[in-house]
Amino acid sequence: MSMEDYDFLFKIVLIGNAGVGKTCLVRRFTQGLFPPGQGATIGVDFMIKTVEINGEKVKLQIWDTAGQERFRSITQSYYRSANALILTYDITCEESFRCLPEWLREIEQYASNKVITVLVGNKIDLAERREVSQQRAEEFSEAQDMYYLETSAKESDNVEKLFLDLACRLISEARQNTLVNNVSSPLPGEGKSISYLTCCNFN
Amino acid sequence: MADSLPTEFDVVIIGTGLPESILAAACSRSGQRVLHLDSRSYYGGNWASFSFSGLLSWLKEYQQNSDIVEESTASWQGLIHETEEAITLRKKDESIQHTEVFCYASQDMDDNIEETDALQKNTSSVTSSTTTKPLDSACLSEETHSLYATDHELPAKGTPKSDGEISLEVTDVEDTLAKEKYCGDKTCIHTVSDGDKDENKPIEEDNTDQPKRNKITYSQIVKESRRFNIDLVSKLLYSQGLLIDLLIKSNVSRYAEFKNVTRILAFREGKVEQVPCSRADVFNSKELTMVEKRILMKFLTFCLDYEQHPDQYQAFVQCSFSEYLQTKKLTPNLQHFVLHSIAMTESSCSTIDGLKATKNFLRCLGRFGNTPFLFPLYGQGEIPQCFCRMCAVFGGIYCLRHKVQCLVVDKESGRCKAIIDHLGQRINAKYFIVEDSYLSEETCSNIQYKQISRAVLITDQSILKADSDQQISILVVPPVESGTCAVRVTELCSSTMTCMKDTYLVHLTCSSSKTAREDLELVVKKLFTPFTETEIDKEELTKPRLLWALYFNMRDSSGISRSSYNGLPSNVYVCSGPDCGLGNEHAVKQAETLFQEIFPNEEFCPPPPNPEDIIFDGDDKQPEAPGTNNIIMAKLDSSDEVKT
Ligand SMILES: Cc1cc2nc3c(=O)[nH]c(=O)nc-3n(C[C@H](O)[C@H](O)[C@H](O)COP(=O)(O)OP(=O)(O)OC[C@H]3O[C@@H](n4cnc5c(N)ncnc54)[C@H](O)[C@@H]3O)c2cc1C
Ligand SMILES: Nc1nc2c(ncn2[C@@H]2O[C@H](COP(=O)(O)OP(=O)(O)O)[C@@H](O)[C@H]2O)c(=O)[nH]1
Ligand SMILES: [Mg+2]
Repeated sequence: MSMEDYDFLFKIVLIGNAGVGKTCLVRRFTQGLFPPGQGATIGVDFMIKTVEINGEKVKLQIWDTAGQERFRSITQSYYRSANALILTYDITCEESFRCLPEWLREIEQYASNKVITVLVGNKIDLAERREVSQQRAEEFSEAQDMYYLETSAKESDNVEKLFLDLACRLISEARQNTLVNNVSSPLPGEGKSISYLTCCNFN
Repeated sequence: MADSLPTEFDVVIIGTGLPESILAAACSRSGQRVLHLDSRSYYGGNWASFSFSGLLSWLKEYQQNSDIVEESTASWQGLIHETEEAITLRKKDESIQHTEVFCYASQDMDDNIEETDALQKNTSSVTSSTTTKPLDSACLSEETHSLYATDHELPAKGTPKSDGEISLEVTDVEDTLAKEKYCGDKTCIHTVSDGDKDENKPIEEDNTDQPKRNKITYSQIVKESRRFNIDLVSKLLYSQGLLIDLLIKSNVSRYAEFKNVTRILAFREGKVEQVPCSRADVFNSKELTMVEKRILMKFLTFCLDYEQHPDQYQAFVQCSFSEYLQTKKLTPNLQHFVLHSIAMTESSCSTIDGLKATKNFLRCLGRFGNTPFLFPLYGQGEIPQCFCRMCAVFGGIYCLRHKVQCLVVDKESGRCKAIIDHLGQRINAKYFIVEDSYLSEETCSNIQYKQISRAVLITDQSILKADSDQQISILVVPPVESGTCAVRVTELCSSTMTCMKDTYLVHLTCSSSKTAREDLELVVKKLFTPFTETEIDKEELTKPRLLWALYFNMRDSSGISRSSYNGLPSNVYVCSGPDCGLGNEHAVKQAETLFQEIFPNEEFCPPPPNPEDIIFDGDDKQPEAPGTNNIIMAKLDSSDEVKT
């Protein structure tokens, strides 16, 4: 793919406990597949999918953990320069929800403070085994200033929405900054008055 | 996560320093099942970098009395069979000594600084946990405050993110965009130009009327802790060096970003000056006379292919480089530049070695910028992690905080067959790679280690003011008296993402003759002045002020031959800790040599397929492109010749 084939490029990074379905979400979105071939994703560093939003080509570079989350050994450099983070837990696994604060601490420490974070509760096709209520997750994500979405990589529920909404959000952030820069306002926060382009919502 | 480790591997690697991490990547890349362990909670061992509070907890670990921390570990003795014997590993790291901390910045506690950094929740009482200063430490100055170590516990669960800060900040997405587009080429090293990507903006300062010199307090440093990425080793990458070549060849460079070192400095007659090094610099230099410019150009041009002109140096091969320089009609000024700032050698170095070093420097010039060096954003500590990521991408398994109690050796074959970890679990493998500091005193009893003296300083100004305050500089201070070593000084600005805005992070390094403070204090005194409250308004202050200083000695295990270790089985390989040199050549060479020894027929870190070229094909689960037999369900665009 030549460099001119897109208007925006964003790096999106997935984190969360092992087994919550991160790799499945990426595969579902980039390849439309579930379940992915058994075993770890070997030799593939990140996946690319280019989407079109309001006539603009947005290239999403989606990074998976390479399994380093399994023993809590993700490298700091994994978080650097990410534009967005998808923090995933499994709605049928209380433990994966309880680990979220630990993940938030890693984000806090290593990610850019401009990163956009989305909380994702995956595996909603297993509703009968749900251990974490939607309300509880919503309250948590609100308190942490994150977007929240429930998905099923298996049934392809909300997977497109997750990535497309995120792409929209990233575009509007990027736009807003161009605007801010153009009106030469050096102070952070002054761009606040310029409204977001609202092509999509999270909820 | 009650996940348990698999127990069968091809290679177990203990320690996540640079050579071990390169080896891990190389082994994993060539299809070996790799388990990579570190007993610590962070990557890199003595190659690590830390946030400010992270560094304080690192210090605390070494200042604690070593015998107290004995965690409950499963006993391994019962797990060794009759046909086996055990080689125990070291329980506590002893490669760091003589740590001394001095805080000069104001400890004013009523700065009205809100705790926005969740990490710092527990550090509000900075003065509460005080470690004791070594008795023998004669202080750098009377103003020296006592030692402070903050408690660096992570906050309780559910700590909210810093309130609203994110939505207020100007994002750098556009910058990232521009950069990504520009560097779309897969063999490109990202060098970030000055000015962009600087998120090190302490917000609370922006609106206040500050005096010309910003006053940075200790609590600001603590509060901005995560802006710091403080390296334990101070190194740079030669832009034509082995590490850059390896990063590019293996594509690991995509995990990191680099900045060019912007200035080479010299210290002469009590003054810091900039050394002209590119052709343009030489000709634009105000310090050099026209005659000097011509002489220097001529000499450097000769150095670039000195091998072709043996007549010019043959007669001097027995002499030292500095003696040789005296014969080349170079003025003392130029001799100093060439010897200390370009060749960066000791005066005693031979003519040939000096010429070699000069040539290497010149060869590296101009590849990415005006000086021959690159520095990784977020610190050198990122580099081992980047290789670890590569290893993991090819299936390597990572486990920090995992101690190994012993190596299990089969008596009959004399080969190591397993390790036993702190949980008493036996993990089998064919090859074992162990970093030197993990080996026990018994294994190392014949070894006389060298030491490296290090200082880490946080200062408020650059040692050489210039139009831009975002400079990355390297300076070699010649030996103060005979018998001492030259001291290498690296000064990093905040856009390297290693220190907070309005501060500089300064690293000093030399090979030790005494403790780090004894070796380095004199140079620190020459270049800096301790921060004091009273002097703040006096304009006569020209030197940068010290806000905080740390000294420590690090063991240098780089020159040790394999045969010096006692009783290691032939399939146990040893990696050394960081060496004292400026570049990373030693680590890369060591990793490549060991890899070739273990797997003589495998290629060392070949380029992986570019993810951008992987075309997924649901029906076709067979990889097709040669050399990519680890790709599952991925097919390479066959037109793609991966070039280096
Ligand atoms: C510090 C330095 C670093 C170098 N780094 C590299 C490198 O990384 N890679 C590489 O391939 N080559 C490098 N070179 C070599 C250099 O680029 C040229 O190859 C070499 O200088 C010969 O150039 P030339 O034949 O064009 O000579 P010219 O440019 O024609 O110069 C010949 C002589 O004329 C004089 N002169 C020319 N211009 C001026 C001026 N403006 N003011 C005063 N005197 C002048 C000088 O005495 C000079 O020696 C470096 C040279 C120097 C000095
Ligand atoms: N029922 C169901 N199972 C899922 C879903 N997503 C992932 N899984 C399963 O969860 C397991 C772990 O998924 P994986 O993507 O490897 O998790 P990761 O470790 O977070 O990358 C696999 O067995 C998947 O088949 C989902 O949406 N629904
Ligand atoms: Mg996965």
